[in-house]
Amino acid sequence: MKVPETYYDELFHFKGQWDIPSTCGLKIIDKGDRKVIIVTELYQDNPGTSVTAAGPLLAGQVRAAKGLGDAPVTYIECNPGTNSKLSFYDEDYFEVSFGDAPAYRRLTREEVNALFEKP
Amino acid sequence: MKFKLIYPRWEKLKGQTTFNLPPHGPVAFAATLPEDVEVSFTDENVEDIDFDETCDLVGISMMLSTQVQRGWELATRFREQGKQVVFGGIATMLHAEETALHADAIFLGEAEGRSGQVMEDWKQGSLKKVYNYMGRHPAIEEVGPARRDLYKRELYNHKGVQMVDLFHASRGCRFSCYPCAVSYLGGRVFRPRPMDKVIEELAGIENNRLFVVDNSLAQNKEWEKELFREMIPFKKKWISHTIEDDPEILDLAARAGAWYVYQAVYDTSDYIKERVKRYHDHGIGVEGTILLGLDNQTEDDIKRLVDFLLEIDLDLAEFTIMTPFPHTKGYDDFLREGRIFDFDWNHYNAGQVVFHPRHMSAERLQELYDYAWETFYRDESQESKMFRLFCNVALREMNEGTYRPRDRRLVNRSFGKEVVRKIVTN
Repeated sequence: MKVPETYYDELFHFKGQWDIPSTCGLKIIDKGDRKVIIVTELYQDNPGTSVTAAGPLLAGQVRAAKGLGDAPVTYIECNPGTNSKLSFYDEDYFEVSFGDAPAYRRLTREEVNALFEKP
Repeated sequence: MKFKLIYPRWEKLKGQTTFNLPPHGPVAFAATLPEDVEVSFTDENVEDIDFDETCDLVGISMMLSTQVQRGWELATRFREQGKQVVFGGIATMLHAEETALHADAIFLGEAEGRSGQVMEDWKQGSLKKVYNYMGRHPAIEEVGPARRDLYKRELYNHKGVQMVDLFHASRGCRFSCYPCAVSYLGGRVFRPRPMDKVIEELAGIENNRLFVVDNSLAQNKEWEKELFREMIPFKKKWISHTIEDDPEILDLAARAGAWYVYQAVYDTSDYIKERVKRYHDHGIGVEGTILLGLDNQTEDDIKRLVDFLLEIDLDLAEFTIMTPFPHTKGYDDFLREGRIFDFDWNHYNAGQVVFHPRHMSAERLQELYDYAWETFYRDESQESKMFRLFCNVALREMNEGTYRPRDRRLVNRSFGKEVVRKIVTN
C-alpha cells in the first residue's frame, strides 16, 4: 500500500490529534484566483493522524506553513490509488469545506482531471 | 495509596460464545504502577462493582467502543462520591475527546515508565487533565509481566474449566488493514519484546492454555520462528491471530502448541481454502473471522461466502459486521461519504449495522448477519464445534502429560454464577 510519489510534490509533516507526529503528501496548485491545496493520505507511511481525522487542524497548519494567510483556497483530500487489489484503496478526491463540521464532496473524474490541467 | 481499577461491562453479541476471558489491558497497566500502589481490580463483566469499597483513586480501563458509555456512567457515579477518576486503554484513545468530558484525567498511550507520574500528581493534588503519550512509545524492553495475580480466577472458569490467559510478545503492527485502528493505537512499526522478557513472562504464567493476543504473528519470519522455538519447552497450548503461511513456521507453531488461530476469511478463493487446509495439515484448528458489509460485497457474495465456509471445513466461524471505528480508514471513508447514520458507541459492537452499506440496505445487512450465524451453525451448534476443538487440545495435552482435569469444586459454576442445568425427565 505504498503511495506513489506522483501524488504529491512534497511530504508535509504536521501535528495530528493530540500532537501526534503525522505526515501527508502535499501538492499546491496555483489556479490564478485561488490556490488548490491537495493533502494526500499516505497510509502506512503516515505515522499518526489521517488527513481526514486531522481535518481543520491540518488545513490550518498547511496555510500557516505556506504563508497562505486568508487567501482563497480550495481544500482537497486525496485518497490515492495504491494498486491494491482491495477496492477500498482506489483513488478518490474530496473537496472539504470546514464549517461547524467538515462537509465533503466527492470530485467527479472530470473535476479531478481539470485540477491538473495547465492553464 | 489504594487504586481501584475497573473494566466496564459490555453487552455480548447474539450468537457469540459467552466466555469471559481475563482482560489483558488492565493487568498490563497495573504492572506499570509503583509498588506502593495497592490495586484492587474489578471486571464488571463477571462481578458487580462495589461502589463503597475504600479507595483513593479510580481507574477505568476500556478496550472496546461499546464499553465507553458504561465507563462514563461509572465515572459519573464515582465522581459524585467525590472520587477522582482516570481513564486509560485502547477505547479511551479512540474516544479521547468525549471521554475527557467525563474524567478527571485521561491517559493516552502506553503506560510503562509513565503511570507513576499520574499517581504522584494525584498525591500532590495536581492531577493533569490529559496525560498525552500518543505516538511516543516507551522502550519495548520496559514492558514487564502483567499483574495476573489481580484476577479472581474462579470468575474466569466455566464448569471447572479455566479460561485461557492472555499474553503478548509484541506491540505495534506493520500492516494497516482497512477496518483496524491498531496502527493508530500501537504504531505502524512492529515492536517485538526482547525474547528473554517474553520467556520470563511465559514462565510465570501458571495456566497451560494461552491466547497470544499480538495483532498478527506474521510480522517477521525470523522473529516468529525464534518465538515458537522458545515456546516449545513450555508445552502450553495457545490460540493466536494469523501465523505466517510458511511450512517451516507452521511446523514450529504446531510444536510450540498452536491450538487454533483466528484467520480472516475475506473471499472464496482457492488461496483461502488451501490456507485453511495447511493449518489443518499441521494440526492447528481455524476459527474464521468473517467481516460482513464491506463495500465489495453484494448479498449474493455474502451467501456464497457462508456456503464456502461450510465447504472448507472451518472449525469455528465468527461473523462481524463492518463497523467504522474511529481512527480507521473505514471511518474516514464512510464519514466523507455521509454513510454513518448511528454514532451511539454502544452500537459499535460489530454486531449492529451503523452505516449504509454500498450494495444493500442496512436492514438487509443485519438480516444477512443473522443468516450467516444461523446457516453456519445449523447442522452443528457452536457449542458442539467448540467442544470438538476443546477435545482436540485435551487429547494433545494428555499425550504430552500436561492435561489438567477440570476443577471439580467449580463444575456447577460458570463465570462466578451458579449453572442452571436443563434436566429433562420422562
